[in-house]
Amino acid sequence: MNSSILRAGIVTLACALGLSACGGGDGDLNLYGSVSGVTKDGLVLKNGGSEVAVVAPYLSFQFDSRVATDDSFNIEVAKTPSNVESCTVVNGKARANYYTIAQISVFCQVKTHKFAVAVNGLTGSGLVIVNGADNRAVAPGTTSVAMNPVNEDGAYGVSILTQPAGQTCKVSGGDNGTGAGTMRDTDLNGKVVVSCA
Amino acid sequence: MKHSLARTALALAATLTLASCGGGGKATFPINVTVFNVLYPGLVLTTNGSEQTVNPPAKNADGSIPPVTFAFANQIEYGEVYDVIPKGANATSLGQMPLHQTCSPGSNTIPFPKSGTAGQLARIELAYTCSLNTFPLGGTIKGLTATGLVLTNGSGTGNTYAASPVLDANQKPTGADIGFAMSPVPYGSTYGVVILTQPTGQVCTLTGSATGTMDDAAEKAGGVKDLLVSCK
Repeated sequence: MNSSILRAGIVTLACALGLSACGGGDGDLNLYGSVSGVTKDGLVLKNGGSEVAVVAPYLSFQFDSRVATDDSFNIEVAKTPSNVESCTVVNGKARANYYTIAQISVFCQVKTHKFAVAVNGLTGSGLVIVNGADNRAVAPGTTSVAMNPVNEDGAYGVSILTQPAGQTCKVSGGDNGTGAGTMRDTDLNGKVVVSCA
Repeated sequence: MKHSLARTALALAATLTLASCGGGGKATFPINVTVFNVLYPGLVLTTNGSEQTVNPPAKNADGSIPPVTFAFANQIEYGEVYDVIPKGANATSLGQMPLHQTCSPGSNTIPFPKSGTAGQLARIELAYTCSLNTFPLGGTIKGLTATGLVLTNGSGTGNTYAASPVLDANQKPTGADIGFAMSPVPYGSTYGVVILTQPTGQVCTLTGSATGTMDDAAEKAGGVKDLLVSCK
């Protein structure tokens, strides 16, 4: 009788020690998920009182404290990176089990800004300018060309695909003086210049 | 005599009844296929002795490509096995694909396998999704001894390339040639590689086909690999 009480006590104690060694949570399920659309530090997720910062390469997160089967969890966005418009959590609220914790994802939408290229002195026809895959045919007399919007903190680099008839155009401006740079937090209008002569 | 006449009439009636019920044959299954994003001609799909040429559809008003749907000419019977593949596909060949595109089984909306047995599911329905072939875009960096060189191909995720100089055993830069590759470029797309930032204390210039279109000539050459970044 005595020995059985003692045994139960030791087992209980060992269990408690074992659990506390497992990272402070009271469960055995890691709360984790996938992340997309994040390019820099700043995304913080919270579940009740615990928070986790999403770090490079910004593709996943995992809370330090674990949850137990059937515990409710509700993952919310506490902070977003400065270049992110908004983030949504998919399947972030449920009771924990092996199925529900494998379904959590966070999607963020990076801010984009308008990108317009100034054109000077174009009289010939046939000019085509590109920002990578984004290409625009430019008619004579055009003074500004709207390119596709560019992600904040994303690169741009304008170059000439086809020169106009009878003229030669050069690209200047941008961060590096030759039409390339990084999009800041406002629209970029007329800072990259295509000059034709 | 009377009896036998009646019997014949009965038999005839029975036959007619059966005929009106659908021929009295076994149930057959059409093989329904949807192909997404067909931009160029050339795709031929085949199964169970039927062949279907899949041509690009007319574009929607907004410029998007509607899916192509069809059923193979031959229906198959309950229990027959089907496997819809591009004509001529085997271990070493993709078979008859569209020009400039590669199609693979499945889609987000129709996740059923390309092969199976008639009767497994109430309806045989499968999909292929086509995407443009992509080609490498890259070249060589010469004389780089400092850090900080970044190339970009316009805007977009993954379009930049940051180069680091080759170091010798003592961690000194050697200036040895560095092969580089930007993100692959889809057929028909334009590209324009530029120097986004110069390395510290060096000036690099970019020559070769840094701006162009991934056209038929580039496709035939297996991509554009002649970009040259010379650093001094």
